[in-house]
Amino acid sequence: MKMTKSHRIALLFNANKIFDREVIAGVAAYLSSTRASWDLFLEEDFRLRLPGIEHWQGDGIIADFDDPAVAAALSRSRIPVVAVGGSYEDEAAYPLGVPYVATDNFKLIRLAYDHLIEAGLRRFALFSLPEAMENRWAQERENAFRSLMRRDKMEAEIFRGQGTSAPSWDEAVEQQIKWLHSLPKPVGIIAVTDARARQLLQACMIAGIEVPEQVALIGIDNDPLARMLTRIPLSSVIQGAQEMGRAAAHLLDQMLNGARLSNTRIMVPPAGINVLASSRHEPAKHPHVMRARHFIRQYACQGIKTGQVADYVGISRSSLESYFRQELNCSVHDEILRFKLDAATTILARGNCNIADVALSCGFTSIQYMHAVFKRELGCTPRAYQDRARQGFQAAPDAASITHPEDATDLCDDD
Amino acid sequence: MPPPLLTLKMQPTSVMTTKPSILSSTAHADDQVYTLRNAQDMCLTISERGAALVSWWAPDRYGRVADVLLGYPDAHGYADNRYYFGAVIGRWANRIAQGRFTVDGEALQTEANDRGNHLHGGPQGFHRARWQATMEDGGVSLRLVSPDGDGGFRGKLEVQVHYRLADDGSLTIAYEAVADAPTAVNLTVHPYFNLNGGSADVGDHMLQIDADYYMEIDQSGIPVTVAPVGGTAFDFRQPAAIGPRLAWPDPQIQLAGGFDHCYCVKPYNKGKPGPLREVARVYDPGSGRQLQVSTTEVGLQFYTGNALEGVHGRATRPYGRHDGFCLEAHAYPDQVNGPYAAAVILRPGQVYRQTTVYRLGLIQ
Repeated sequence: MKMTKSHRIALLFNANKIFDREVIAGVAAYLSSTRASWDLFLEEDFRLRLPGIEHWQGDGIIADFDDPAVAAALSRSRIPVVAVGGSYEDEAAYPLGVPYVATDNFKLIRLAYDHLIEAGLRRFALFSLPEAMENRWAQERENAFRSLMRRDKMEAEIFRGQGTSAPSWDEAVEQQIKWLHSLPKPVGIIAVTDARARQLLQACMIAGIEVPEQVALIGIDNDPLARMLTRIPLSSVIQGAQEMGRAAAHLLDQMLNGARLSNTRIMVPPAGINVLASSRHEPAKHPHVMRARHFIRQYACQGIKTGQVADYVGISRSSLESYFRQELNCSVHDEILRFKLDAATTILARGNCNIADVALSCGFTSIQYMHAVFKRELGCTPRAYQDRARQGFQAAPDAASITHPEDATDLCDDD
Repeated sequence: MPPPLLTLKMQPTSVMTTKPSILSSTAHADDQVYTLRNAQDMCLTISERGAALVSWWAPDRYGRVADVLLGYPDAHGYADNRYYFGAVIGRWANRIAQGRFTVDGEALQTEANDRGNHLHGGPQGFHRARWQATMEDGGVSLRLVSPDGDGGFRGKLEVQVHYRLADDGSLTIAYEAVADAPTAVNLTVHPYFNLNGGSADVGDHMLQIDADYYMEIDQSGIPVTVAPVGGTAFDFRQPAAIGPRLAWPDPQIQLAGGFDHCYCVKPYNKGKPGPLREVARVYDPGSGRQLQVSTTEVGLQFYTGNALEGVHGRATRPYGRHDGFCLEAHAYPDQVNGPYAAAVILRPGQVYRQTTVYRLGLIQ
């Protein structure tokens, strides 16, 4: 058997960021599907390595070109480089002579915008970042938003705000609240990242602005951490980052085998959209109902009762119940339960988890009670629900052990 | 059960009140169109001409209904149907090298209509025939008799295709055929899907195919080797957008101007059909629509509409390349000339059977 030479490959990414991690996961997925053998070099802080990277004794580099320092340092590289980064409206903004795998910024914004339109919003805004060379993608997302607004004959309402650092935190939040108050409601807001969306969601909470009734919000990245840190589950556009990693690895693999690909550009569209409570806008209800649901969305999983909701709204239990009957055709208790059930099914669908933990974290007083609610509302047990969610594709037969399926019929015959 | 319609309907509403359409003014005014509906507001129309799936209206995640199939604006297009829009393909789906093969030592020459090879039953294949339709078993059955010598194939073949639409969005297509002499048979159906309803091409659709191997082709589209998908643009074992894969530098994609390749979805079956199994999924992030494909067949041809270029269809603008994709379940291309040729020969007394299910729904 022919031994394949092992290549030394550096991945210049910031593994603290969800997007970068997904790209790296894509590279790993590609490698596990081929016979290519790469020794991967990943650094805790790759920026320390940049000076003199051109002298590195390696065979190839895949790098985050959103960082101008990286792009500059690699412009003199003698070994094959594949660039990963954001798309640009202006052709001249792409680096020269390097194959480039891009996340399609326009399509990310368009997907978020289309979603907000379908959720019933008629006014839109974008929450961006202060302009910086490191986040040119945020400006590209602004451009995308601007051109969509122009197409639909609306003013492009864009707020950059401040970056969030500890000393100016309060001031940054104050400005965000001021901006939020200035917007005619209801409004659909796209944040250029989930981190940015989370900050805005927090500002909405502080200012008592109902999400999604007054502000429907969607971020980009589908970052589990941002979801975990928000009381109201955050909707988000999922970038095709893993596929970008696979594509970048494939291009580098080809280059290591002698292919010349300097003009290749691969644009990767979003992989999906995760629609959660923050953008499930519904036509306006009675203010008492809106306020009650806002409270329920935040605290349902902490085991609240109808009385506490009524206290929050500031009316009697019986008045609140009659408003709910009238507007939603259900009781306050039903609404709390529905939200708890939603939270539980979301966690269960995600995969391996302990049923008792799910019951606890979703505000059910016991496993037995959650069991009973599942049986009544969904007609199955929590366990059965989890199993059903897990059933996707059956694992394909292991390809590594055979070379040609048509000659390998003695190994397995499932007919 | 809705009665057969006399009009080719482009909107799912006002079924019975549609005024006589262009159909009545064409040469094939008497082609009837049948409608299937389900509890999910889906509406599917099937023409007797080519037993073709004409339209499939289905809701997206916001409840908006759109047609997810590519098609011609009127019946005239289906009479000719050079792009095989939605039609049942036979007697031989996909290609036969130079149109030649032998059955029991007898050499046969079928029509070579595609770069020197036989393709999709030849120019007068099943896709152009007028089938006899009846509503039965909660669906539509279409029957066709293909005479001895049809397209160069030996023996009389009687074919029946049954379409049924379930409330869960599953369109089950069950094929049966019997012959009075040994003959090669390989049937499929050729719908072009666009899950966003035609607002853009299918480049952003996320595709997943459960196959470790696909068939590399030569310049004329004939498979030459079975190759592992790992490390290539053909690896869809994890969901990936179609558009970027078309941009991967891959000689096989360059040869076909896109994807036009067969995946081995039952690689250990020696070319014989097996139990019905889900083999592919496609979803469109924008609309949330998802298509799941299950089949009994060993091959799944993935085609990205590479030949669609300025085709005058039902959309306001002409169809362009990659405006639709096909996932055609059938035997291996050119299997009549390969090691498993015996598995695609139907003999008197035997019944050819295949089942394929296209299930249209929403992603969770």
